[in-house]
Formats: sequence, structure tokens, C-alpha cells
Amino acid sequence: MSGSSGRTTVISRTVARIVVPIILVTAIALLFRGHNLPGGGFIGAVLAAAAFALVYVIFGLDFIQREILDIAPDGSEQHRLVENYRWMASLGLAIAVASSLAPLAFDAPFLTQGVLFLEHVPIYGELEVASAFAFDLGVFFAVVGGLLTIVAEVGNE
Amino acid sequence: MQPTPEVVLAVVFLPFLAAAFTPAVYRLLGERTAYFAATVALVTLGLVTDQYLAGAHGTVAFDWIPSLGVSLAFHVDGLALLIAFLASGVGVLILTYSGGYMHGEPGQAKYYATLLAFMGSMLGVALAGDLIALFVFWELTSLSSFILIGHYTGEKSSQYAARKSMLITVSGGLFMLVGFLLLVWASGQTTAIEGTTYSIQLLVEHADVLRAELSSAGLLVPVLVLIGLGAATKSAQVPFHVWLPNAMEAPTPVSAFLHSATMVKAGVYLVGRFRPLFLPKEAAVLGDWTLIFAVLGLLTMTVAAMLAVSATDIKELLAYSTASHLGLIIAAFGFANSYGAEAGAFHILNHASFKAALFMVAGIIAHEAGTRNIDRLGGLRKHLPITAVIAVVASLSMAGFPPFNGFYSKELLFEASYHAAEHMGGIAWAFPVVAVFGSVFTFLYSIKFASLFFGDEPDGLGHVHRPPVAMLVPPAILGALVLAISADPNLFIEGLVGQVYGSVVPGEAHSFSVHFPTKLTPYVIMSIITIVVGAAAFPFYDRIHDAINAALRGPVRANWWYDNFVEGLTTTSVAVTPKIQTGLLRTYATWGLFGFVALALGGYAAAGVPMPNIEGLSVSIPIVLVLLVALVGAFAVDVAPSHVAGVLTLSIVGFMVAIFYILADAPDLALTQLVVETLVLVIFLLVLDRLPAFYGDAPDRLVFIRDGLLSFAVGGTVFLTVLFSTNADPDGSLKEFFIHHAGVPAEHGTFFADFGGGSNIVNVILVDFRGFDTMGEISVVVMASLAILTLIRMRGQGETQ
Repeated sequence: MSGSSGRTTVISRTVARIVVPIILVTAIALLFRGHNLPGGGFIGAVLAAAAFALVYVIFGLDFIQREILDIAPDGSEQHRLVENYRWMASLGLAIAVASSLAPLAFDAPFLTQGVLFLEHVPIYGELEVASAFAFDLGVFFAVVGGLLTIVAEVGNE
Repeated sequence: MQPTPEVVLAVVFLPFLAAAFTPAVYRLLGERTAYFAATVALVTLGLVTDQYLAGAHGTVAFDWIPSLGVSLAFHVDGLALLIAFLASGVGVLILTYSGGYMHGEPGQAKYYATLLAFMGSMLGVALAGDLIALFVFWELTSLSSFILIGHYTGEKSSQYAARKSMLITVSGGLFMLVGFLLLVWASGQTTAIEGTTYSIQLLVEHADVLRAELSSAGLLVPVLVLIGLGAATKSAQVPFHVWLPNAMEAPTPVSAFLHSATMVKAGVYLVGRFRPLFLPKEAAVLGDWTLIFAVLGLLTMTVAAMLAVSATDIKELLAYSTASHLGLIIAAFGFANSYGAEAGAFHILNHASFKAALFMVAGIIAHEAGTRNIDRLGGLRKHLPITAVIAVVASLSMAGFPPFNGFYSKELLFEASYHAAEHMGGIAWAFPVVAVFGSVFTFLYSIKFASLFFGDEPDGLGHVHRPPVAMLVPPAILGALVLAISADPNLFIEGLVGQVYGSVVPGEAHSFSVHFPTKLTPYVIMSIITIVVGAAAFPFYDRIHDAINAALRGPVRANWWYDNFVEGLTTTSVAVTPKIQTGLLRTYATWGLFGFVALALGGYAAAGVPMPNIEGLSVSIPIVLVLLVALVGAFAVDVAPSHVAGVLTLSIVGFMVAIFYILADAPDLALTQLVVETLVLVIFLLVLDRLPAFYGDAPDRLVFIRDGLLSFAVGGTVFLTVLFSTNADPDGSLKEFFIHHAGVPAEHGTFFADFGGGSNIVNVILVDFRGFDTMGEISVVVMASLAILTLIRMRGQGETQ
């Protein structure tokens, strides 16, 4: 699939250029609003992964590495990008675990989630900050990292 | 007085703690680590002595798994103290002795760490007052024994021996665990005990009701047999004695410590510990208990004694002799009269004193003479004068020769067997006859061992060195102990053994005393017969030795069964594996799916799940349309000519399901379904690039039919599962709970409240109420991606067949 950039049409490449950022923004929006509206870490993560997958299909695997992240191909067959994805997955797990362990420091059971209300915030007025968001963020990163590892590695074949 | 909790904890865990530090200590001290370990053992001995002098008796418990009623309970009484004294006291001697014996040997840090850990485990077994705690420490002793037997990791015979002991003792322990759990179950059935209990003391207190409960359920004999299996495997009773002679591959101090004085005593301890539970005060002379344990013990005593005579290696001789003496103790505990309990309690102490000394003597011989072969040894008295004295004293005690201490306990066993026979008559007369018969062989091999120090030196024997002091003092101390007990047995009985007796008989127990016989009682005659016949047969020792060896062929040997069993298991596994693991994905899929269908449907049938009521199910027209499209898509997959077409049509089904979710008011599900479907489609397309564009040849008709049937079965099962699982109507409180608690609380209270603080209940459930599930799921996602990574990357470089 790595050579697929030669096989895709101009239309698909142009569409992808416009659509991918929109998808990513949507994914992040889904992550943020998940606590109160349909969405959440998992859905956002899968959507973000889909955006990356689209880039892979349209532009080929090397594109992100070469053009966006400016990592010079080191000649090896292994994609160094995959290492980054793995780090992302580990980071996600770490965030999730750390956020669930945090309540222990306050004598609350493992995985207790709390809600903090910030009053008089400019623009927003009252803002609700749920500790569950940190956990959701962990879910997001773990799933994005995990899925992208799979996509990149399978696509690499 | 109640035992001091801190001291009891220290007794058990100090050795473990020291074991953890041993590698570091070894770096500092090198070979002198032996004396560090011996000091630890000495401190432990001091703590045990402190509890003994304080007259501690009772249970101390620490919470362990309170939700299951399991506690880390320690019970201090006579039996526990005796075994603890053996473990720590013999431990001091053995660790000191190791300082000389292990000079220049490999793996010393591991050796001392494991010995200390073993000591802790053994003390745990001795003091455990809770069934689970007992089981855990029990298996820990098996584990440390495994490591110590396999000390010379490179030797094939060490590996074989370590594996053998592990297989036998650990599996026996598992049988014991089943027995324990049945006991716990029985404790839950009686009203006398509140709930279920794992406490051994509580079980023993309610022995009568428990026995009645087990008998009425028909479980009394099974429980006895299960616990008996644990004891028999650990204490190397026939036919599980086979591991003990092989265990002599371990360095000799280990044999002296684990395989004579302590670990093998665990089985004996178990029998003693449960004796008051299963043997009521007015027990029948030949009840279940006696039938199992007296017969097992006497059989082992005799068979192992004969095998000891057939041995050609001094450590092998001592190993069989150990099994034989453990048989004696178990037989003694098996008899339902007070003499039996007295004999067992006393012989635990006596056996530890003379056998550990003899093992250390054997170690000295092997170390200084360079051989352990009986035929190549003789006349050692000239080179090893002190060792010779120790050996003679200990051997005579082992033979049951008056006035040494072994004589007194053997006399008590004779008394027990004679009384049992007198009460029962008939077949029970076999007890005293077998006891005397076995004792004759005991006498024979004991004298043979002592005779190694006399007579002429064989030609092959080279120069024999003097042993270092560290190796000579410990057996000398034990030899002195043998003499001390022999000189005044009642002092030791009053001091400790009397309390042990109290632990192994039900109800209030008195102490007892032994006296040197002055009258000609039947049991004295039994002793005289033993000694006279033994002495008369000794000149023919070599012939008896050859005759037993000649008879030990094929299925007569327990080893034959063990080796063939293990060999059979291995060959069967090797033969079966290629049939199950064909390497063909479709075989695995077929059997996996078939298993799923069979288990699920079987489960429903067994549970008698009623067919749900589907009347009054109303479906709106849009939903019907969407589902119809999905159905068309599903059929299209089946007739798709290529992979790409198949995947695309399959995604029709997925997207239709997503639309169905939208129509059914589940936006979160619909969103997830949509993006997942998209992503799966992309991954499929990526993979398809590598697959042939078209399906291969049509499979033959049979395969086709089989796959079709299986597909229908899987589909049907999933359909039924959905029907059944959605049929259950949870009461509204669950729904109410989520609705009330997911949202923002009415009043802004503390940071940690019982509220989720989000209006999307689905997400609040995911990240808050069921956050633990989500945590597991994301771990699975990451693991799956790593697994795929590994599979793909390692494909080219893994093992190739």
C-alpha cells in the first residue's frame, strides 16, 4: 500500500486534504463534549484513527513520516512512526492509571471520579471540570495509539 | 498464656526477610554467609524458646482475606512448638554444618536464601492455625525443596529428582486442599459454627458435629483419603516414597534438614494435627481413621525398611529408612489408643535427633572418603573416631536398641499395635506381626550403617581426611541430644512431648511417662524378638540385600509406575499436539465456534432458560426497511465473487446497524458503530491488498455443508443469546440509580460526590460507574496492538519448524 500515492486520484487527494483536519477537529470535539453529549474518549479516538487511516490510504504510509513529522526514512523497513504510536498508547494507559490512582491520595477508593465547579470563569460563566475527563483522555490516547499501531503495521505489509 | 503476636510473626517471617537479604549478604561475607544464616536460625530458635518458656498456648490471628473468612492465623501448642523447635534448632545446626560442607560449591547465595525461606515455610506450616495459611506454607516447603534438590542445576539426575519431588508433593498438596475445602464446606452446613470457617482450632472444637455432617453427606472417607494423600506424598509413604531416595541428589545438609528432620515431617504433622478432628475419644478400634493411617504407616514402615536393606548407597539407605520411620509415626497416630498418640509424638522428636545426625555423618563420609557406596566403605573408625561414636549412638537409637531413645518410642508403637489387636482380635493381629516384621529390617540396616565404621578397609578406599570442626560439631550436638533423651526420656516428655500428645488427642489430655521395662510384657517380648531375629539374620545381610534387589523388577517397583506414567504423559502429549494444533486457521475457527455453540446452547438447556415472550413487539416501518437492507447486504456477502466485493457488502450490514441505532434513540452507539465500521473497512482493504483477489476453488461439498450448518448454528446461538439476555428485566432501581447519579448534583457539594457530573449517562457509566471495565478494555486494545505488532514483525525471524 505504500506506493498507493501514485494510484489515487487528484480528487481524492484534494478531498482528503480538506476533510482530514475537519475529522480530527470533530474527533477532539467528541472527546471534549463526551461527558454531557454523545461522544467520549473511545469514539473520538476511533474517529481520529480513521482520519489517519484515510491519510495512509490516500497518500501512502511514508507520507506522514516524511512530510508532516519530518522524520528522515532511516532505510530500515520498520516504521519509526510505529514506535511513536506505541509510546502514545503507553502514555494513554499511564494517564488512565494515574488518574484512577489519584483519588487514593485523598482517601477515596480507586477510580473515584470527582466534579469541580469553577465559578465566574470569563466567557463560560460557570465551568464544570470533571476528573473523569482525565480518564477519558487516557482512553483516547490508548485507543488512538493502539489502533494506529495496528493500521500502520498492517498497512506496512 | 496467649502467644505474643509480634513474636509469632517474627518467628515465621524473620527467615523470609533474611532470605531476601541473603544475596546482598553473600556479596559482603562470601562463604561465611552460612554463619549469618545460622545466626538468623538461632534468633528464631530463641524466639520459639521464648514462647515455649512463657507457656504460650492459643491462637493469634491477623486479617488476610476477610471477605472470605481467611486469616493469617497462627496457633501455638505442643505439636506446633515441637515442629518449630525442630525447624529452627536443626536449622541452626544444618546451616553451621553447611559452612563446612558447601566450601567451594557453586550457587551458595541461592542455597542459603532457599534454606532460610524453607525454614520460614516450615515454621509457617508448624504454626499455621488456618487451613489456607497451612496450605500456602505447605506448598512453599515443596517449592523450596524443589529448588534445593535441583541445586546442581546442570545435572540430569538433579533435574529428574527435583521434578519428581515437585510433581508428587505438590499434586498431593492439591488433593489436600480439596480435602480442606470439603471440611470448610462441612463447617458451613452445621449450625454449631457461624458461617464457614477456615480456622483449624474451631474445626477441631466442633469435631463431633463436623464428623456427623461429613458422614451424612458420605464425605468422611473421601476427606480422610484426600488429606491422607497430602500427608502421604509429603511424608513419602508407600507408594509415594519414590521421590525421597531421588531427593538425595540435593547437597547432604539439605537431605539432613528437609528430607529427614523437617519437611517430610510436615505430612506426619498433618496427620497429628487432624487426629483429634477425625478420631473421637471413644473411637472404634478399627475405624476409618485407623484403617487408613495405621495400615498406610505399617505398610510404609515395612516396605521402606526392606528397601533400605536393598540400598547400595548410604544416603539411599537413610532415605528409605526415613520413609520407614515416618511410616512408624503415621501408623502410631493411626491407632485409636493413647499409646499410639504417645508413640507418634515421642518418635517425631527421637527420629529427628538420630536421623539428622546420621545424615550429617553420611555427609562427612561422602565428603572425606569420596564415596557413598556401601560396598566400598568400611573400617572408618580409625580415620573418623568421633564420627564413629556419633554414628554408633544414632544407629542404635534408630535400630530401637535399649536403652536408646528410639527404643522407647518403638516400644510404645508395639504397645499400641498389641492393644489394638487385643481389643479387636482376628485380622487385627496382623498389626503387631507386621510391626515386628518391619522392625527386624530396621534393625538390620541400622546395624549395617554402624558397621561401616568397623571391620577391614576395602581396597579401593583412599585416604580419608578429618572433617572440619563446623561439620563435626552439629552432629555431635545431635548425638548428645540422643544420649540426653535416652538418659532421661521423662524429662523431655514432661517438658514438651507431653504437650504434643495433648495436641493430637481429642479433649483434655494428660501427660505420660515411659519406663525402662522391668517385667516381661508382650511388647517387651516383641522387642526381644526383633533384636534376636535381626541379630541372627545380620550375617546373611548380603543375601537378603540381593534377594530384595532380585525381587524388585518391573511393576513391583513404584518407580516403574512413576516413570511409565510420566513417560506416557509426555508421549501422549507429543502425539496429540499435532492433531489438535494443525496450524490451519480454519480448523481452529471451526472447533472454536462449534465449542461456543455447544457450550452456550448446552448452558441454556441445562439452566432451563424459558423462551422469552415476544408478543406485543412493535417495530416502526423505517426500522423494518433498514433491517431489510441489512438482510440483503448479508446475502450479498455470501454470493460476492471477490474479497473486495465481500467486504464492501459486509459493511452495508454494519452501516445499516448504525442507522438502526439512530432510529432506536442510541446516538452514542450509532456514532461508535459508524466510526468503527469505517475503520474496520479500511483495515480490511489494507489487508486485502495481500490476499488473492478471488476465492480459491470451491470447497468440496461436505466442507461446504459443514460450514453452512456451522454458520447457521452460530447465527442461531447469537440470536437466542440476544433474546435471552435482553429478556431479563432488571428492576427499575438500577435505571433510577443511573439517572439520579449520573448527572450534576443539585447542590454543588464536595469534590468527590456520589454523582457522575455528566448529562451523557452512557459516557458517565463508561468513565465513572464502570471505569474499571474501561480500564481493562483499553489495556486489551493496547495489548492487542502489541500482539499484532509482535506477530507481524516476528513472523520472519521466529522459530521455524
